Amino acid sequence: MTDDAIRITGLNKFFGGFHALKEINLHVTKGEKVVVCGPSGSGKSTLIRCLNRLEEHQAGVINVLGIELNGDTKNIDMIRREVGMVFQHFNLFPHLTVLENCALAPMLVRNASQADAEALAQNYLERVHIGEKAGSFPGELSGGQQQRVAIARALCMRPKILLFDEPTSALDPEMINEVLDVMRGLASDGMTMICVTHEMGFARQVADRVIFMDGGEIVEEGPPEEFFQNAQNARTREFLANILAH
Amino acid sequence: MANEKSSPLPNQHPALGARLVQRFFRTPLDSVISTVTLTVLAYLAYHVLDWAVFNAIWTTPDGTSEVCRGVDGACWAVIQQRWRLILFGLFPYQEQWRSSLACVLLVVIVVMSCLPTFWTALRLTLIWVIGFIGFFLLMRGGIFGMSVIAPSEWGGLTLTAFFFVTCVLIGMPLAIALALLRRSPLPVVSGGAAIVIDCVRSLPLVTILFTAALILPFVLPGWLLGDKIWRVILGFALFYAVYQAEIIRGGIQSLPGGQDEAAKALGLSYFHRVTRIILPQAFRNALPPTINQLVITFKETSLIVIIGFFDVLASGSAAFGTGEWSFAYTEVYIFVALIYFVFVFSLSRYGAYLERRMRVGTN
Repeated sequence: MTDDAIRITGLNKFFGGFHALKEINLHVTKGEKVVVCGPSGSGKSTLIRCLNRLEEHQAGVINVLGIELNGDTKNIDMIRREVGMVFQHFNLFPHLTVLENCALAPMLVRNASQADAEALAQNYLERVHIGEKAGSFPGELSGGQQQRVAIARALCMRPKILLFDEPTSALDPEMINEVLDVMRGLASDGMTMICVTHEMGFARQVADRVIFMDGGEIVEEGPPEEFFQNAQNARTREFLANILAH
Repeated sequence: MANEKSSPLPNQHPALGARLVQRFFRTPLDSVISTVTLTVLAYLAYHVLDWAVFNAIWTTPDGTSEVCRGVDGACWAVIQQRWRLILFGLFPYQEQWRSSLACVLLVVIVVMSCLPTFWTALRLTLIWVIGFIGFFLLMRGGIFGMSVIAPSEWGGLTLTAFFFVTCVLIGMPLAIALALLRRSPLPVVSGGAAIVIDCVRSLPLVTILFTAALILPFVLPGWLLGDKIWRVILGFALFYAVYQAEIIRGGIQSLPGGQDEAAKALGLSYFHRVTRIILPQAFRNALPPTINQLVITFKETSLIVIIGFFDVLASGSAAFGTGEWSFAYTEVYIFVALIYFVFVFSLSRYGAYLERRMRVGTN
């Protein structure tokens, strides 16, 4: 075993005639925190959605935790079990309580007993500071609370990699920090994280590497201090100027 | 709030009389409209009650219709004389306790499976397996010294209830399967399901029932045929299933795509995604049209009379069909309508209860 978490070579993805991802090469080691940014439509969400096969890629090799991601459903299942995902719109299951949302996958996928799964769920809910809402339904929570539950739900599968797809973009400004705090905590625990986000402050504090995408390509990547101080590419500088200006 | 509580009650709720005046007699025009409407309603109510209650004949002393001759009111004596025919059809007279017991059993297991206490796979399976075995032993007989009674002799309310329940029991899983197949990413599968749904939907129900009852015997080998009632039930269930399939598909399509994606990202299998995430939410969304379709299906069961089954409506017709009671068709139809009303109204209220219950957890 190497310390590879993700290795992508020559990845191409098409939506019909639209070339969404062009020859992406990316290597993420275990414990690394990568922030992906870029203008909307640049392919950053598509890229991380390819990593657990929510999107199918047409060419190239994606290797996650030493397992090749291809049409083989066995491999897809194995990878999804180890890779958690947090969505922009939370996607909690509205017909289940917060506790049931978190305990469901450990019971169905990892065959945990109900008691074990609920104890695990309660434990992770406490960690995201929302243990007291275990019996509530998602519709009764604020956006920030829902997103923290969604993170706890992903953690209950004890994933080795966590993917974040714009986790704070749908939140009211005053709730963004409670979610980012939880994510900072995860980062300091050594979780391998790939975050698509526009939160540049978070990128600066937490990321080991920042990737800038535009037009389906990785335009620039580097450690945050270099990326923010000394971007090489004109498109990167323009993007940063726009996003840091407001 | 505190203010409201401290104020005396009468101010909050003015006397009934005062409220009625306020609502119906506020202006002269209001008063005229209210008076006319009330007079018409009272007139109608008086005439209905006059016929149905005040002048009605409730029993017949000698078992004949003589007592109703020349009477202005309703002749409910026909129900007293013929209720067994309406409820049990052609089922042999001495054995009708079996049919009534079977009907009660069926209603009990339906009511039981409507209660949340029994909503586990094990309990529901137990209820239905035991219930159906019990129903068949009672109706068909052949053991414990009970004479054998073929399904062609079943009739009345018991037949209607049995027919409806069986059709839904077969049709609902079929509908779920068709809805899921129609959403398959494989064009052959989704296209196949679409063609089945559209074809069956394009045919009149009567045609399907005729085909199942009368045409299939010419086409299929004998060992595949089974009893006529089963072929008709399968045809009816198929017809129900294609409509219900589209209702379920609508429920599934109204879910945000993120629900399935979140379940996939957690590693849930297709089976678990469908049974734990998609279908529970789809059924909640599709509950009003589902209840609607069940109500329509229940009432459509009366069509089976055309292929020779005496459901509750046909048995009703037979009840006044003899010359003696032929004048009393209104009373019999009202009685049968009441039976339908009790069933359908209960179903509707149960649907409303489910909606209230399921609203928990959504905003």
